[in-house]
Amino acid sequence: MENNGRFCHVRGDRFLETRDLSKTYAMGTETVHALRDVCFVAPQGDFVVINGPSGSGKTTFLNLVSVIDRPSTGEVLIEEQPTSSLSERELAALRKSKIGLIFQSFNLIPVLSAAENVEYPLLLQRIEKHERRKRVAGLLAEVGLADLAKRRPSKLSGGQRQRVAIARALIARPKIVLADEPTANLDSETGASVMELMRGLNDEHCVTFLVVTHDPAVSDYAKRHVRILDGRLQEGGEDVVVDSTS
Amino acid sequence: MWLWIPLRSLWRNRRRTLLAIAIIAFGTAISFFVLAFLDSSRDQIRASSVAEYGNLQIASPLLFDNKAEGFEYLLSPDHVNLITESLYNEASFVARTVQLEFPGLVASGNRTQVVRVRSIEPESGLIDFSEFVVAGRPLREDDVASVLIGRSLADRLSVEPGDAITVTLTTVDGAYNATPLLIAGVYGFASEQVESQLLLIPLRFGQLLFNTTGVDRVIVGLNDIRATAAARDRIAMQIAEAGLPLEARTWDELSPFYQQLSSYFDLLFGFLTLAISVLVFFIILQVLTLAFLERTREIGTLRALGTTRAEVFRLFFSESVWLALIGSLLGVAGGIILSLGFNGLGIEWMPPGTVEPSVLATRIGLSTAVLPFLVSLTATLFSSLYPALHAARLRVVDALRAE
Repeated sequence: MENNGRFCHVRGDRFLETRDLSKTYAMGTETVHALRDVCFVAPQGDFVVINGPSGSGKTTFLNLVSVIDRPSTGEVLIEEQPTSSLSERELAALRKSKIGLIFQSFNLIPVLSAAENVEYPLLLQRIEKHERRKRVAGLLAEVGLADLAKRRPSKLSGGQRQRVAIARALIARPKIVLADEPTANLDSETGASVMELMRGLNDEHCVTFLVVTHDPAVSDYAKRHVRILDGRLQEGGEDVVVDSTS
Repeated sequence: MWLWIPLRSLWRNRRRTLLAIAIIAFGTAISFFVLAFLDSSRDQIRASSVAEYGNLQIASPLLFDNKAEGFEYLLSPDHVNLITESLYNEASFVARTVQLEFPGLVASGNRTQVVRVRSIEPESGLIDFSEFVVAGRPLREDDVASVLIGRSLADRLSVEPGDAITVTLTTVDGAYNATPLLIAGVYGFASEQVESQLLLIPLRFGQLLFNTTGVDRVIVGLNDIRATAAARDRIAMQIAEAGLPLEARTWDELSPFYQQLSSYFDLLFGFLTLAISVLVFFIILQVLTLAFLERTREIGTLRALGTTRAEVFRLFFSESVWLALIGSLLGVAGGIILSLGFNGLGIEWMPPGTVEPSVLATRIGLSTAVLPFLVSLTATLFSSLYPALHAARLRVVDALRAE
């Protein structure tokens, strides 16, 4: 898939991979299997939509691949590097450099303005102020929030907050963006515009997107569909490769 | 950003922040006020002690410790000259005088009282009691059989300047000696004990009465009370080098009252500070624990974005640093206002063992500010350690699930 002069989608590229990924929780004397032996591969530039009913293990899967949680067994590999042996500090470094996160409830820092929220990941990377400001301004313009840069999250609508969250997820130029129910708290029109934005950014920046959702409308934006049921991953049919230029 | 994120978080929860600052400031202000009051009281007692003992005294340890069997502690004129010469090497030295004190009986009419008769160098400017004279006049160099009598004793004997009293004592040879003395003046002193027991007579006449050319101590005046301990060490070294079996003791070593009171003040302030610190510690711990608990999801978000545990700790600990700094500084300001207001009231009271009311006051200075400031700062920072560590150690997924 050609995009902006770059060859983006490489079949067989194992940018994100899970091997026999399982997660169990102890509930009293019982063991709950939230995820069972999930094997999954996503190449760079993919846009995967993960469906499944409530409690099927979608969010658990997202938490594990975003390395904010550790699997009970199995392995998450990012750029073919295993993550299970990494320390807390190394995992934090991995998250800030390679992973962008978008949450259902936006999870913006309430005391920071829209621009500062977007700037925060760059601050963690100790990027110089001038460069930070330049990148923030550019990305806010790209998500259509240039005029609202100084507003606090409480003064933004749901759609605007999610755009800020998307900009924050992308500002550090991650290799993968993981979104958990990004349209759940938005009306259908705003949800559609947010998904269009994410898809556009996927095409433009060649960033891998994994989107967990209940929303059937989100599936329209997927290059590939995956379903999780009872903790097991079901990949129904062939990969759907959407030509971003079409 | 590491500086102003905590500040903005504090501003966002203004009510809780104000409560925390008020608690810290209140604790600091109370500590400041109590310390300022105790320091002022200590200053008054110090001034009174130095007025009674001089900065330091040089004498035989037998005299200091009341272990003399005879009069072997007396210093000859040669000893005094040697000591005086060594004092001129001391930079802080201002003046010196000598004293000779012995017990005696004073009688007026049919009233008799046990007293201490102290022979002093009149008009020496050092412990000559001239500034304490409340009736009559101070002793003069050319006075012979004159006496300065304490106000309480004068009242007890019903005498006044111009009256005569009789003093009876034992000379160094063991003979009895009695002499009439003309009351030149009456002095008032902070201590009732001094006023009722101490008679002052001219040194030369005292030596005549006691039948000696010696004195029992050399009293040294220094230009700075803070130089006393260091001066004592240097003077003691010179005395030892001169081969004299004498010791130099400072005013506070000679005043058991000051020592006891000072220890009591230290204990009082220590207990109060501890109580306030514990109170501040637990209240701030409670406030911060609640504040951080409410922000659990925010902590999860920060960690999910790649913020390390150390950085989360730093963010939350910084909030308590701001709280502690602002609260403690406001507390010091509050303490100053409280102390100034208290001084303005001019409240008088009669301390035990004194004869004149003294004005209750506080002494405001850097030293009274530093300790309460540091104590409140430390208590607040310690109280934030657990909540900040707890925040930093939260599991990211658990924190993100928080409502």
